[in-house]
Amino acid sequence: MINDKNSQKIVDIIQNWARKHSIWVLGYGTGCGAIEIPPTMTSRYDAERLGVRGAATPRQADVLLITGYLTTKTLKRVIRVYEQMQDPKYVIGFGSCTINGGMYYDSYNTIKVLDKYLPVDVYINGCMPRPEAVLSGFGQLQKRIAEGRADGAKQYKENLEWYRANQKKIIPNWVMPEYNW
Amino acid sequence: MMKELKEHIIRRVKANFTEAEENNDFTYDRLDFTVKKEVVPSLLLFLKEEMGFKHLSHASCVDWLEEGELELVFILWSPKDKIKVFVRTRLDRDNPVMDNMDNIWPQLHTYEREFREMFGVQFTGLEAPDEFILEDWQGPPPFRRDFDTAAYAEKTFWHRPGREDAQDVRETIANRDGEDIPDFAKKYSR
Repeated sequence: MINDKNSQKIVDIIQNWARKHSIWVLGYGTGCGAIEIPPTMTSRYDAERLGVRGAATPRQADVLLITGYLTTKTLKRVIRVYEQMQDPKYVIGFGSCTINGGMYYDSYNTIKVLDKYLPVDVYINGCMPRPEAVLSGFGQLQKRIAEGRADGAKQYKENLEWYRANQKKIIPNWVMPEYNW
Repeated sequence: MMKELKEHIIRRVKANFTEAEENNDFTYDRLDFTVKKEVVPSLLLFLKEEMGFKHLSHASCVDWLEEGELELVFILWSPKDKIKVFVRTRLDRDNPVMDNMDNIWPQLHTYEREFREMFGVQFTGLEAPDEFILEDWQGPPPFRRDFDTAAYAEKTFWHRPGREDAQDVRETIANRDGEDIPDFAKKYSR
């Protein structure tokens, strides 16, 4: 019964509906963007009413929120964190720096385009994005999840070689464990 | 009072280090000595132990590209006399070698590692891992002035091309609201 195509569709809809209302966020506070997360989470904007909560560890989290610029050094840690997360997992790129480098466009040590290294589901632009923009970004992610279009993790799995090649271009000394979830 | 104190310090330093060039105008609460690089450890030790400059405020490196030299500057502070002293030395830019001095102030260890990584200054006898802040660094020392940051970033990282329909914000708003753009602002427009 469950292998029937139409039943699978119904299961997916229910699954996505449940996932969209329970988003556990791992805030990877790399850059200055992390300062916008406390007002988003606390009483003023109260993201929890939308089902968005903080998670303690990568393995308990659904969303990796990358707040701000990534140096080549932190990129390595972010990749490790991302690969430790279990399905379903999504990435939100937060701020101009993850989109095109922002004010660090000519820095020798920060990456400019995050989606060459990790599959980004939603970008929130702004420098800084205000909590309203952050909530709007989460709303967008929820919409994509409900529609079944937030498939960054699938992309990453299918195109792992391409992502690895890009990552190894920046991190030549690749000493990382392999996570096989 | 301050001037007498400064003259006293200069006399003491000149008596012990005859080659020290002093460059002081007595208007600020600071003294300035330029010495050869071989003399720096003994001068720092003399200032610390004999003259009361117990505190190392800062150490920095200046790249004099046109003169082919790197300058190390050590800033010391005397808590008793409330006076600063700058100790400067010049190194050859192509082969900058300096003595390790982290036995005088342990915190110099961190500065020395930074100079080694960011300016390529080698400290003989410095026992530290090769990497300090940069990880897997392959290019030349990035804080040198002949290091072209933008070109390096262009070569190493992807760049997202800008939108083709990108508009000048100032011009767009001025046209919409019928405002005049002042002449001085026009030269900053794209």
